Amino acid sequence: MSTNWALKIESLGKIHGIPDLRSLEDTGPEKGTAKSALTGSIVAAWDVSFEVAPGEALGVIGESGSGKSTVMRCIAGDQGSTTGAVRLRTVHDGHMNVLDLDPSSRRHLRVADLSVVYQDPAEGLRLNVTAGGNIAEALTAAGWRHFGRIRDRAAELLDRTEVPLSRMDDLVGTFSGGMRQRVQLAKALANEPPVILLDEPTTGLDASIAAGVLDLIRNLLEETGVAAVVVSHDFAVIEMLTTRCVVMNHGRIVESGLTDRLLEDPHHPYSQKLVGAARA
Amino acid sequence: MNPNNFILSCQGLSKSFTLHTIDGRHVEALRGIDIEIHPGEHVALAGSSGAGKSSLLKCIYRTYEPTSGSVFLRLRNGENVDLTQVSDQEMAFYRGRDIGYVSQFLRAEPRRGPLDIVTRAGVSRGMDRETAREAAVVSLRRLNIDEKLWDVHASVLSGGEKQRINLAAGTISAPQLLLLDEPVSALDPNNREAALDLIGDLTSHGVAVLAVFHDLEAMERLASRIVLMRNGQVEMNGTPEDVLKVLAEGVPS
Repeated sequence: MSTNWALKIESLGKIHGIPDLRSLEDTGPEKGTAKSALTGSIVAAWDVSFEVAPGEALGVIGESGSGKSTVMRCIAGDQGSTTGAVRLRTVHDGHMNVLDLDPSSRRHLRVADLSVVYQDPAEGLRLNVTAGGNIAEALTAAGWRHFGRIRDRAAELLDRTEVPLSRMDDLVGTFSGGMRQRVQLAKALANEPPVILLDEPTTGLDASIAAGVLDLIRNLLEETGVAAVVVSHDFAVIEMLTTRCVVMNHGRIVESGLTDRLLEDPHHPYSQKLVGAARA
Repeated sequence: MNPNNFILSCQGLSKSFTLHTIDGRHVEALRGIDIEIHPGEHVALAGSSGAGKSSLLKCIYRTYEPTSGSVFLRLRNGENVDLTQVSDQEMAFYRGRDIGYVSQFLRAEPRRGPLDIVTRAGVSRGMDRETAREAAVVSLRRLNIDEKLWDVHASVLSGGEKQRINLAAGTISAPQLLLLDEPVSALDPNNREAALDLIGDLTSHGVAVLAVFHDLEAMERLASRIVLMRNGQVEMNGTPEDVLKVLAEGVPS
């Protein structure tokens, strides 16, 4: 069972500044900081390892600055990593560390192997392009050529993410925040990637809108069998979407486990503080 | 009854919490619990609140991580696993399929109706969609959930309705072991009757049940054995008659 992963992260690390390993000595949860006084470098993430199986959603939770978005960006390829390995089952059956790929091959993974949904839709979409056009971009990148088929597929995806088809030819910039997130989801799923990364997908939305987007994400995760990594500071989001999660603090994973166990029986002092704050 | 033919066997199960936010205090919830349950047996946990009844259920389901001891579960495929030793992913897989847990409350399900919730519970346990839907219909009818409410979002339903939906979802496919934590606490007499009936049926079909009920009547009716807990330990383990007699006389505190 443990070999059945779609995404595997091994000892991923990211140091901003001089990658001097002495920075590790005076940073981390015990030191209470990610910034090394010794070297001046910031250890944004270190020794981060986890794997995600098809159909499984893994949560990454922590306060802002804990390194969770850094991890996501290193996996996505938006940011370079200092050390470690990222393996995708669809890339040489997981034998290849995708961090070793040249930049253009790395970018190509984003077509059909790995999708990202960002907190800010402007990162995942072009706001001055129509909803249909944004999805068409993803499809043409994957080799779709026939105009009619592209339109049909875009309509199908928008329907699935509950975007009214009457808005298909409107610029995304004219959409509300919740609707932009739905278009981003439609685009992310366009080429049926085996892995999807969701970075604070509902943060910043009104509560009622966030609940709707969250329900949609949950349905999509259940129905597509995609392996998902959900990054959030919000336990309600993690509880609703994931079965397992890791807790990050000052760039390190301090605890990992079944999500309900982490909520009801957190072990690490930081996890207890985090859960206590969420419950208050 | 073959003594080796258990579904659940807890051995020396202990749980303590370290509260880092309150000066690192230690709280002991369970102190060396030994308990065995066989197929078709319904074991009720009795004892005052704080005795460790819910903690025991949670340690078996791994919502709490046991501090020491073992929890052996016989899987549907006949294999025997120690749930304290399996990976989180394996535990997630066994949940629902081999071991079910029905708590007092429905977990947040904001925009789904009862039929959808119960059907999905079946699908997540490996049933195909049609079979799961049929089973959900049977179960919702049996628990007297008005058909008009089947597609109404669960968040707006009453506490009693939510509790029955929870029970329907937790029992849609019979697990090897069913853990029940006050599953009928919010139900009126008629609906309580239907729920207890459903639980009794599962036992007669070979499911092993470990349950916490707040009322003695439910225990008396369903339990083949009662385990009386006190201060995180098993104080008495016997027939309902024997244990209920002791309870009626009043537990010395």
